[in-house]
Amino acid sequence: MKARIPAVAAVLLLAVTGCSAGSSASVSAGPGTLSVGFTAEPANFDFTRTDGAAIPQALLYNVYEGLVKLDAQGRIVPLLAKSWTISPDRKTYDFQLQQGVRFSNGAQFTAEDVKFSLMRVKTAWTISIKSTMDVVDHVDVVAPDHARVVLAKPSNGWLFSLTSRLGAMFSPTGVADLANRPVGTGPYVVAARKRGDSVVLKENPGYWGREPAYSTVVLKYIKDPTALNNALSSNGIDVISAVTAPDSVPQFQADDRFQVIQGTSNSEVTLAMNNQRAPLNDVRVRRALTYAIDRKALLDTAWAGRGTLIGSMVPPTDPWYEDLANVYPFEPAKAKALLSEAGVTNLNLRLRIPNLPYAVSAAQVVQSQLADVGVRTTIEPLDFPAVWLKQVFTDHDYDLSIIQHVEARDITTFGKPKYYWGYDSKRVQQLLAEADSGTPEQQVADMKQVARQLNADAAADWLFLFPNVIVAKAKVGGFAANQVSESFDLTGLAPR
Amino acid sequence: MRNLVLGGILVGLVVLAALLSFFWTPFDPVKVDATHRLLGFGASHWFGTDKFGRDLLSQLMVGARTTLYVGVVAVGIAAVIGTPLGILAGMSLRWLGEFVMRVNDLVLAFPALLLAIMFGAVFGADTLTAMVAIGIATIPSFARIARSGTLQVMSTEFVLAARAGGRSRVHIAVRHVLPNVSGLLIVQASVSFAIAVLAEAALSFLGFGTRPPTPSWGRMLQESQELLTVQPRLALVPGIAIAVAVLGFNLLGDGLRDRLDPRLAARV
Amino acid sequence: MTARVLRRVAIFVVSVLAASIVVFLFMAVLPGDPAQVALGVNATPELLAKTRAEFGIDRPLVTQYFDWIGGVLHGDFGRSYVTRDAIGPQLLDRLGVTLWLVGAGMLVALVIAVPAGTFAAVKHRKASGAGVSGLSQIGVAIPAFLAGIILVQIFAVQLRWLPSGGWTPPDQNAGEFLRGLILPALSLGLVQGAVLTRYVRSAVLDTLGQDYLRTARSKGLRPGQALVRHGLRNASVPVVTVLGLQLATLLIGAVVVERVFVLPGLGSMLLDAVSARDLLTVQGIVLVLVAGVLLVNFVVDVLYTVLDPRLRGS
Repeated sequence: MKARIPAVAAVLLLAVTGCSAGSSASVSAGPGTLSVGFTAEPANFDFTRTDGAAIPQALLYNVYEGLVKLDAQGRIVPLLAKSWTISPDRKTYDFQLQQGVRFSNGAQFTAEDVKFSLMRVKTAWTISIKSTMDVVDHVDVVAPDHARVVLAKPSNGWLFSLTSRLGAMFSPTGVADLANRPVGTGPYVVAARKRGDSVVLKENPGYWGREPAYSTVVLKYIKDPTALNNALSSNGIDVISAVTAPDSVPQFQADDRFQVIQGTSNSEVTLAMNNQRAPLNDVRVRRALTYAIDRKALLDTAWAGRGTLIGSMVPPTDPWYEDLANVYPFEPAKAKALLSEAGVTNLNLRLRIPNLPYAVSAAQVVQSQLADVGVRTTIEPLDFPAVWLKQVFTDHDYDLSIIQHVEARDITTFGKPKYYWGYDSKRVQQLLAEADSGTPEQQVADMKQVARQLNADAAADWLFLFPNVIVAKAKVGGFAANQVSESFDLTGLAPR
Repeated sequence: MRNLVLGGILVGLVVLAALLSFFWTPFDPVKVDATHRLLGFGASHWFGTDKFGRDLLSQLMVGARTTLYVGVVAVGIAAVIGTPLGILAGMSLRWLGEFVMRVNDLVLAFPALLLAIMFGAVFGADTLTAMVAIGIATIPSFARIARSGTLQVMSTEFVLAARAGGRSRVHIAVRHVLPNVSGLLIVQASVSFAIAVLAEAALSFLGFGTRPPTPSWGRMLQESQELLTVQPRLALVPGIAIAVAVLGFNLLGDGLRDRLDPRLAARV
Repeated sequence: MTARVLRRVAIFVVSVLAASIVVFLFMAVLPGDPAQVALGVNATPELLAKTRAEFGIDRPLVTQYFDWIGGVLHGDFGRSYVTRDAIGPQLLDRLGVTLWLVGAGMLVALVIAVPAGTFAAVKHRKASGAGVSGLSQIGVAIPAFLAGIILVQIFAVQLRWLPSGGWTPPDQNAGEFLRGLILPALSLGLVQGAVLTRYVRSAVLDTLGQDYLRTARSKGLRPGQALVRHGLRNASVPVVTVLGLQLATLLIGAVVVERVFVLPGLGSMLLDAVSARDLLTVQGIVLVLVAGVLLVNFVVDVLYTVLDPRLRGS
């Protein structure tokens, strides 16, 4: 008996391998299907109550739409609003809406839904960024295709935030089970999900806009960067949405079957320094550390040279970008001098990082480089998100940390003294407030000053800007090189 | 005999590398050097460098320390606690033996990896939590083997004779039981050492083991993954090191077993 | 015999309950606030307090424990703090994947170990036997995840014969399911097979040295025949014990192999839940894993009693 079972199994194994030998192991069925690989999986579909980048990445612009969206160049362009006007006091916004739009449950989209969705952020949402909507005073339904939003005070940040998940339009008839059944006006609907594996998006048959090129999109979730690469190499998926194993990119560049698209993202890989805690509350010490770190070498080793050196919390796609990357050149001697000037000797800092590949890589370089100027560091990888969020972010129990700040225009966090940076500058707070309420021209001028001030204060060390590296089968086209929004926008993709 | 010699040589290599690393390594194993990254085998860096420009041979040598450290502590914990428990369970009053084995089974139900992940979550994952977890998880193997060996020995004629002769339990345990189960225990220790080394590698691979930048063979493997297609050397070097250590300890254990077990020795 | 088995059942139940207390207490001391994790970074203290109450984690530990274990006994593992889904069905789903993997891995291990170990023992004086032993030694020395990585490189990335990972449920597409299972099962089974080969070899060797086999051989039976007729049952006693121990080891391997092959099993669910501090989910998974190992031990114990005539009598 014992002998027979194995024999049968062996035959079975042989038969299965045998019959597939030589044929491709593709799982992407048919030309209308596209399979896209991601590393982070959504915990559920409710981004109103669950934080994290994975949910808007999958759903925004694809399943949910807002009044406006960000295009590939980072400009605010119409979506559900055909056009809009802003009053001279910059407090009243009049939106003319697209007509004939329906939610995927059949309900008509009107100005009532705009009022419902925007006001609902204040009442039903729980995630932290909802506070951006606090500035909304009220919404008037002028006509079914005309919504008027009145702000309590002028805010440039508000219109921009409408391009994010905060601006997503919901129907009162479609919010009963957001965690499992999202109902939006977008070109796709969620057809199926297998937790720990995939989400399947299918074309929304009643979509008001241009029909998407792929009728089915499978979002495959593969946490391990190497496994993600392998899935593409072995035809398991068609696209890697964002490569997090940068040293593997040349192997795809050398292969005709694939194309590599590289651009910038909003994600600053930042060496946070606890500004509240001695001796890092001394600007000379923070500057010393900034001089001691060779960011070019760090980028070359930790991230295969892919990425951009920035020098402040501004990606090149923001209107107020200036190149501040070389304000602090790599000068270990100057670092040592600043340290002794500050009277700091025998420094031992806790580098408490999330247990994620980029942070573990960068931390080892930072540690080695700081050791060269006599600063010792202890690397403590913490489970992410839970432990890092609790201990570093919430309790501020850290000296140094390394994390990607992924949200768009998150430079405003330096205006919050209670934020984990511990950075408290009246000038920066004032400039940020002015920038938000002023004209677009003044906003740009003020924000430039903020960025320079942060750099001068060495409020943190911006190690590099994370690259947006997409690897795809050569036959798939329509990718935007720069990742500027929260969404992995599927609507532009098409066979080529 | 052949096993003993070959195993001794392989283990000796690992031990030698670890000892030597206390006094000398070709380069600083944690020194990042952007200008010498991803070098292949060569005269200056024998085994080449990794993506950080760190010397692979130096990392390997210091990594041997981590490996031995984990193995010795984990197997030590398991043998020192597990063996007496097993013999106790095999020899003592029925209910006590039963109870010991039930507790043992309870511990057995927490595999090393599970324990290490749980410990890591509570205390912060590092080498210490990994080896204590591996050690605790290995206790039941020792206790079980010791007990089943003891049960068999206890029913043999010479033990029955000793008991009839009024020998004390401790005397029987030390003079008759321990020598007779020691062969089994040494084989178990060898397998456990191998498993401990493999478990540490797996934990470091998952990010629950040795913290960076302390070199560890498991983390070297994990860091080599994305470069596997273009630089298989990076995985090959630590992979072979792990295999050598595990193979060495297994062969050594087998060789010792052949020497210690008179029944087998007579036959081979 | 029946009384004995009943007693084992009682011990099994008590052990599972004891394990559940250990697991629960362990989770209670984990750092990290589930409410904080669920709400994100800038949640207000009032909202945090409300959410803690909603999750029931502001109550005394004893109340929480009985509430939890009471639910578990009815198959209700509670709702995840993070995904806000019922944990039970999810757990069952993931368990299915892991069981397929462990089962297939075990099968591969047995297919390798039983013939190879017996062969190595019977021919232990010959070069061929020593060769098999040597191969098994090398097999033991390779980590399962390394085997997996190498297999993926060869069969998925280079040759493109088999998928590099992912999971197709058997009822959805049986062919894809089997193709997807081959590489993970091999990486898990090859190493375990090598480990098991050593035990099978030494068990068979021990048996070969026993008096009754010598007697059987003196009656004119060839070694192989003597072994099959009289020896295998005795050799199987230590092997069954080791098999029980190995199932736990296979679960260890499965967690890592699931990560390498991106299989949505219990292992990957556990790692995700730990890093998200999804305590209730971790608690559920660990309990299921631990109860599973206890179940295996229980079955081994019963088999042990049945197989070993010496123990049967006592």
